[in-house]
Amino acid sequence: MSEFEPKVVAFFCNWCTYGAADLAGVSRLDYPPNFRVVRLPCTGRLNPKFIMEAFKRGADGVWVSGCHPGDCHYIAGNYYARRKFVLLHTLLETIGVDPNRLRFSWISSAEANKFQAMARDVVESVRACGPNLTFRKAPLALDLPEVA
Amino acid sequence: MTEYIVKEDALTAFFQAIANGRRLLAPQGQGENCRLEVATGPVSLDYGNTHLSPKATFFPQTEKILAYHKKADQPKYNQYQDLGDHAEPTVIFGIRPCDAKGLAISNKVFQNDRFTDPYWKGKYESALKIGLACLNPSPQCFCAAMGGSPFGEMGLDVLAYPKEKGLGLKPLTPAGEELVKAASLPSADLASEIKDLEKKAIEAQGPLDTYQIINERKIMELYKADHWSATAEPCLGCGVCTFFCPTCHCFDIQDETSEAGGVRMRNWDTCMSPLFTVHGSGHNPRPSKTERVRQRFMHKLKYIPIKQDGVRGCTGCGRCVVMCPANIDIRTVAATMAQASA
Amino acid sequence: MGALETITQKIQDKAKSLLESGQAEVVIGYRKGSTPLVAAPYFARTPSDCENLIWSSFAKLNLANYLPNRTGKVALVAKGCDARSAVGQVTENQIPRDNLYLIGVPCSGLVDPAKVAAKEGRPIQKATETDETITVSGVGFEVEIKKAEVLRRNCEVCSHRSPTMADELTGPEAPAAKPDDFADIKALLAKSPSERLDYFQDLIKDCLRCYACRNACPLCYCPVCFVDETRPQWLGKSTDPMDTMTFHLLRALHCAGRCTACGACETACPVNIKVREFNRVLDKAVQENWSYEPGLTWEQKPPLTVYQPNDPADFIK
Repeated sequence: MSEFEPKVVAFFCNWCTYGAADLAGVSRLDYPPNFRVVRLPCTGRLNPKFIMEAFKRGADGVWVSGCHPGDCHYIAGNYYARRKFVLLHTLLETIGVDPNRLRFSWISSAEANKFQAMARDVVESVRACGPNLTFRKAPLALDLPEVA
Repeated sequence: MTEYIVKEDALTAFFQAIANGRRLLAPQGQGENCRLEVATGPVSLDYGNTHLSPKATFFPQTEKILAYHKKADQPKYNQYQDLGDHAEPTVIFGIRPCDAKGLAISNKVFQNDRFTDPYWKGKYESALKIGLACLNPSPQCFCAAMGGSPFGEMGLDVLAYPKEKGLGLKPLTPAGEELVKAASLPSADLASEIKDLEKKAIEAQGPLDTYQIINERKIMELYKADHWSATAEPCLGCGVCTFFCPTCHCFDIQDETSEAGGVRMRNWDTCMSPLFTVHGSGHNPRPSKTERVRQRFMHKLKYIPIKQDGVRGCTGCGRCVVMCPANIDIRTVAATMAQASA
Repeated sequence: MGALETITQKIQDKAKSLLESGQAEVVIGYRKGSTPLVAAPYFARTPSDCENLIWSSFAKLNLANYLPNRTGKVALVAKGCDARSAVGQVTENQIPRDNLYLIGVPCSGLVDPAKVAAKEGRPIQKATETDETITVSGVGFEVEIKKAEVLRRNCEVCSHRSPTMADELTGPEAPAAKPDDFADIKALLAKSPSERLDYFQDLIKDCLRCYACRNACPLCYCPVCFVDETRPQWLGKSTDPMDTMTFHLLRALHCAGRCTACGACETACPVNIKVREFNRVLDKAVQENWSYEPGLTWEQKPPLTVYQPNDPADFIK
């Protein structure tokens, strides 16, 4: 294993994927600890600026996951979200962000095994991308006098 | 002081001589894309004006002022670190007289008997400024109407003008005289030629006689005039006018922080944005673009002249005229201000 | 009389009659600009104002930008893209249909001053136009340029030049130009991700973050733009390249499925950034995924406000 440990920001919907993560935990399923979860009421709540903020602050990858289409707790939230994701995915891929850095999945609260597999897949593919050096805000250089 | 001549074949040597190891900023590129930047290619002598005004050289759009560490294990924990004024010895060639005047006006804002801004002062005073006079004013030019001239001398150390594919030079300050002397140039008496060219260039600009009236009218009379909402109606509120203006100098202080510490910076701000005046309470004393547009024009044409002994806050460079997406022309606005009833 | 003069005359006549009959309180159109190659927004409120209204291929902005939050009856001089933006604003409830009268102008494409400047490097003092050509002059020169050679990028590929939804057309329908085939974007996609990132980062390197593109956009009417939000502050105020990139990406996403390719953002940009490049990536995606073009009917719904249960999205695992 390389020394690089990727940092992934994960946006999970409260009703499905967050539940799947819980179930995976209580089922003692191993998954990598490289992601930090932000719990959303629904993937429909995901504003693209959340994703940009994650990358800007140096996330190596972003993972968005929610209920399967048709299973949304709010009936249609993820249907709308899906259209937004299509555009977001296309835009970031076109401008040269590796699609492996921005992953989407549908995982229901019963699919602990899918969660485990997806978590491993996300982290390993971000690891393969390497550290995010080009699509982030430069860290504040506090060591003087280079700051200027 | 006498004047000097640079022949066409002596131009390269001249620029080397005046730079003399210092940073040389000069017009690079042609036409609308002409920029005042570090001279790496041939120096342009035939351009309307540089795309951006030279103010960014002394007052960058983003300037980092200080840094601090938040981590207790850092040696400089809890200390403010001054980041200096980023000044370096510089010679600037090719500032148009309108822009040089704009710098002189900003200089009085940043350095006066009440206050000195160290960041501006360091950069402004370590730069020698050679102006390039205008023989053919652009359609947007109106420096003469603003009390300046295509051969204006305010804020400059040396005034140059294109002469037979070379240059004529007129030193204006002792530092300028010294700079020109170092290039060992042939001297000449150019005073009468300069006078003739200046007269021609002024005549090429359209006449504008409304500013005297604005000077004479009372502030509140201009302020309360009924035209402001119509004047502001096409305004998009973008602030391009302020970013391109050689005398706009407002800034916003921001801290950018991380878990390790932070950097304090100042960035150009624009009075065209509602954010410029909004209070912490949410109240905004300039709630609509009418008030914001009024502020900009009143500031340029009334408030600055009052504060700076009649020197107008607009130098007539015309950048806002061409850059404004809605073509709000300060000349038209000035004419309206002069006529409008309260 | 050329087509330009005929259209100008018809705009003036119509504006006058709308104002006199009270069908409109204001007619928003263009006037002659104060510098060459510009026609500026003009608000005609009295019948005598109407003689200042003109039609010109030097028109810069999309006048639909002035519609949101406007009360009272308004008539708009609208070329194809402006009319589509206005239709979009009606469908997005920014202005009631009953308050809007569209004076449609069949447009044959607008002139890009930057292209003219690139063709004629000398400072331009004066510019005039006929239907097919423009003439620019300066100190010691006068040059005639074919309009077709200096059209704006978006006008070269416009497939909706005539505002067919307008309440009235001021001339015969203009033939559509070839539609945007996104060939350059497709070519770009053949390059490596890092080359693409370089391309887009280079594109915006001169950005001053003046937000003229946003303010010139008829779609950008949010009461508070995300760039101006302070709690939390999503975007730094400095010229940081990633903050600038974030602005351009999010701006484009906000306009996705709504952009009518009017190009007002690009003409407003004071540093000539091809800001619409980001929008075009999304225009392409919207057309390919949902076969949608905005502003063509009064009833259609923007693609992000609707869905199909079987919308394709193979990249979601």
